[in-house]
Amino acid sequence: MSDELRAVTTLDRLIHEPARLLIVTILSSAVSADFLFLQRETGLTKGNLSAHLSKLEEAGYVEIEKTFKGKLPLTVCKLTSTGQKALKAYREQLQDFMNKTSQNQSRRNQ
Amino acid sequence: MKDNFSDVEQRVKRYWYVDGFGELVGGGGMCLILAIYFAAQQYFGDNSLLGSLLQVSLFFVLVGGMLFVRRLINAAKLRVTYPRTGYVEYAQPMNKRLMSILSAVVGMIMAMTFIFIVRQFNRIDAMVAVSGTVMGIILYVKQVWSAKVKRFYILSAAAVLYGVALSVSGFPRGYNLGLFYGLMSLSFMVSGGLTLKRYLDENPLPTEP
Repeated sequence: MSDELRAVTTLDRLIHEPARLLIVTILSSAVSADFLFLQRETGLTKGNLSAHLSKLEEAGYVEIEKTFKGKLPLTVCKLTSTGQKALKAYREQLQDFMNKTSQNQSRRNQ
Repeated sequence: MKDNFSDVEQRVKRYWYVDGFGELVGGGGMCLILAIYFAAQQYFGDNSLLGSLLQVSLFFVLVGGMLFVRRLINAAKLRVTYPRTGYVEYAQPMNKRLMSILSAVVGMIMAMTFIFIVRQFNRIDAMVAVSGTVMGIILYVKQVWSAKVKRFYILSAAAVLYGVALSVSGFPRGYNLGLFYGLMSLSFMVSGGLTLKRYLDENPLPTEP
């Protein structure tokens, strides 16, 4: 394996986990989203989602705020700028890896 | 996990349209205002003071409507959608809003120029045909092509169809335009109403254990 391809082992494992990847991708598409929306979109249980959000919050990727919209209590989650940068870097790294593997594959096929 | 990044992003964007409030409040409200507007203008006549005032203030009503429609939709979502399926706040940067307003103004100027040219021939009611086509294109680009909300196919096709059909119907000009916006308003409300009904059926209010 070339050094370029070996770079995939340096992927951000906090984001690489499928459930957390889904959470940060959802949050990157909006300014913020509440717990209920994330739960419905990810299909995770309350406990599971809570655990993943806590990990992302600890890493400074997600900001969680308990607030009210009118009289409705909301637990609003927001991707921080650190989280946005981490997701961007992760996507670039993954894309880079995919490009290189497909180049290698086509070279082998020729 | 079969979703890729853009699928997830699209799904979050489409969530704005999940309850039909976009059509009910936005489209329905705006078109209803315009229908009443043109009907009133037709009633008072172009030469009366009130008719002229209505003509002048139309632009401000449109721009004001564009700015407040989102707030109205949010207020409706706050009561109905957020407790059922969750809250999402979307980015609405000011420059994007400014771009929409500018596009609307440029579109109106282009449409007026086209109407002026076609009116010289005095064969068809160009105003209603242009309104239908412009509305159809906007609906297609914004909702079908960009947000991938399939039910807007029908609404964009309806806009073009109403516009073209009314332009050759032979009805008086102001009446034609009022009828066009009235029909669009009705179509928006039917589409929004059906979507809202399906949404409420599929998503009852969660009860606390």
